[in-house]
Amino acid sequence: MIILSKLTDIFEYLAKRHRLLPWLLAYVLLLPLPFVLAGLFNEYLIDLVNRICLFILLAVGLNIVKGFCGQVTVGHIGLYAIGAVTSAVLSLEPGGFGGALGFGWPVWLAIPTAVMVTAFAGLIIGLPSVRLQGAYLALATLGLGESVRIFIAVTPALGSSTGLMMIPSPSVGSFTLDSFTSYYYIVMTAALFGIYFSFSILRSATGRAFQAIREDTTAAAVNGINVIKYKLLAFVFSAVYAGLAGALFAHMPPGYLHHNNFTVIEMVTLLLMVVLGGIGNVWGGVIGAIVVAIAYDQTKDLVFYFMDRPIVIQPLVFGLSMVLLVMFMPRGIGGWIEDFQRNRRFIRRSEERLSGSTRNT
Amino acid sequence: MALLETLNLSKSFGGLQAIDNVSLRVDENSVHGLIGPNGSGKSTFFNLLTGVYQPDIGSHISFNNIDITNKPAHYIASQGLARTFQLLRLYGELSVLENVLVGYHPHTKYGPLAPLIMGAEVRRQDKLVKEEMMDLLEFIGLAEHAEIPAAELSGGQRRLLALGRAIAMKPKMLLLDEPGAGLSPVNVDNLMATILTLKERYNLTIVVVEHILKVVMATCDTISVLDHGQKISEGSPTFVKNDPAVVEAYLGREMADEDIRAAMNS
Ligand SMILES: Nc1ncnc2c1ncn2[C@@H]1O[C@H](COP(=O)(O)OP(=O)(O)O)[C@@H](O)[C@H]1O
Ligand SMILES: [Mg+2]
Repeated sequence: MIILSKLTDIFEYLAKRHRLLPWLLAYVLLLPLPFVLAGLFNEYLIDLVNRICLFILLAVGLNIVKGFCGQVTVGHIGLYAIGAVTSAVLSLEPGGFGGALGFGWPVWLAIPTAVMVTAFAGLIIGLPSVRLQGAYLALATLGLGESVRIFIAVTPALGSSTGLMMIPSPSVGSFTLDSFTSYYYIVMTAALFGIYFSFSILRSATGRAFQAIREDTTAAAVNGINVIKYKLLAFVFSAVYAGLAGALFAHMPPGYLHHNNFTVIEMVTLLLMVVLGGIGNVWGGVIGAIVVAIAYDQTKDLVFYFMDRPIVIQPLVFGLSMVLLVMFMPRGIGGWIEDFQRNRRFIRRSEERLSGSTRNT
Repeated sequence: MALLETLNLSKSFGGLQAIDNVSLRVDENSVHGLIGPNGSGKSTFFNLLTGVYQPDIGSHISFNNIDITNKPAHYIASQGLARTFQLLRLYGELSVLENVLVGYHPHTKYGPLAPLIMGAEVRRQDKLVKEEMMDLLEFIGLAEHAEIPAAELSGGQRRLLALGRAIAMKPKMLLLDEPGAGLSPVNVDNLMATILTLKERYNLTIVVVEHILKVVMATCDTISVLDHGQKISEGSPTFVKNDPAVVEAYLGREMADEDIRAAMNS
């Protein structure tokens, strides 16, 4: 607690000097991470960190539509799939394995195009939110998201059962970013920018419009907010995050993707991150993404034998944790963070009042 | 001059005629009272004016010489028609300041994508708007609670915030749905005084629904009376309180409300 408090003090001090200083500091601190990990542990952990960065992008993006704007969506992983497959197919050489499509675009052109395609798909996944709410909206978005996966699974041009292989890596000049370490700098930068932009949105009139819709849609409309426009905008914002995460996933070493990367269990994992993080809290979502991604990685191969039959228990564990979380920790980690911030504010106000009164006497 | 005008305004919910052919004019700069027994359609009337409900076919509403019939709520709001809700409907988890900032939304000078591309300009604008909104909070006496979530305010403070959020929209006309509900008579008097100062300061036209008739009689220029969704009387406070139809509507329901009796007899 005290460490956290000191850390916040440092960041707040820096933020007073210049708004971007804390971000710069965070970036600099994160630069040597792959070397530390490789030195202390092994290369594999860098890969894990890379995947965590993608999950942070996904969770922070999902948080915009679900946390800020209050729209229940279970189709987010479908957007991730669209981003991944679009970027992969655009950048693959024509005439690849197993009839997979390929257009041979440069990777740096494929990624932004994939993000734009995903943004448009986000608009479509968001359309049911104009008329539906709550569980109905969840069902509609789940249907749309899952149909994306099935479409990929049955379409040879998009990889179907074999998946898409040898997706090219991006390169800077003559240097190809095809190692875990070099790719880390792409995904880490993307994740940090993602978090930063999420705060920019939250603290603007746009973010307040999202939150007003979440709190009371009728009141928001009467306050002059075009509810449909802002709901769809929230879906598009979150789709941009998902599309970027997906595209970066496609080009991440080893450059392979399969429709199994986009199942409902991945969606549950993603929701778990946001729920654990505390709906609507950006840092909570980031921490949730880190914790759940590590837990996911650790339990992935956990097999339990029942009468000599192997049983993979991860889906059960994750489904169950979701239920328990919602029941016993509805505000998530974000709830703690908010309490912590409020305590600090309260203490600061009391201190100001005290010093004010001593000055008066 | 009429700022707001309805012509044959009707709304039925299934078989229930909640608003029945109501034609009504509200003059610019007036304080117009809307009274009637519980369930007579006062809140529904406001919901129709502000686009929360769609009126039945054949209805017409014009505001500031613009036809707003069947227009979406956010459009009507942007034309300068603001309201409060009987049950307030504040944004509970947002701070007091954020609540009034949402009210300011129609006047935001940057587009919804601007926060991503022109951060500095957005921050400059937001700073100016925040100062303006703090002035407003100062005026209604909520400035020291600016950072507190709206849900944590006391009942009276919540009513003030609902008022502040509507004023932040810089409306031409303000519809108040039972602004003093749940307050003690003394506090209702104070609230009405605040409302009248706000009216002068922001140059507003006001329509107020209030069930304490004494308050309505004392503050309104004109009063319209609804019963079973129909307009049964309209005129100056003296005219309305002596109108047999009004007395009938209230007493005919055997409403043993001391306030009403007192108002009728005074
Ligand atoms: N959304 C709705 N659906 C069905 N009936 C409604 C709805 N809103 C209001 N009513 C009915 O319309 C009538 C008028 O209600 P209301 O306008 O709230 O009255 P008042 O505000 O004068 O007390 C009541 O009988 C109420 O039950
Ligand atoms: Mg009412």
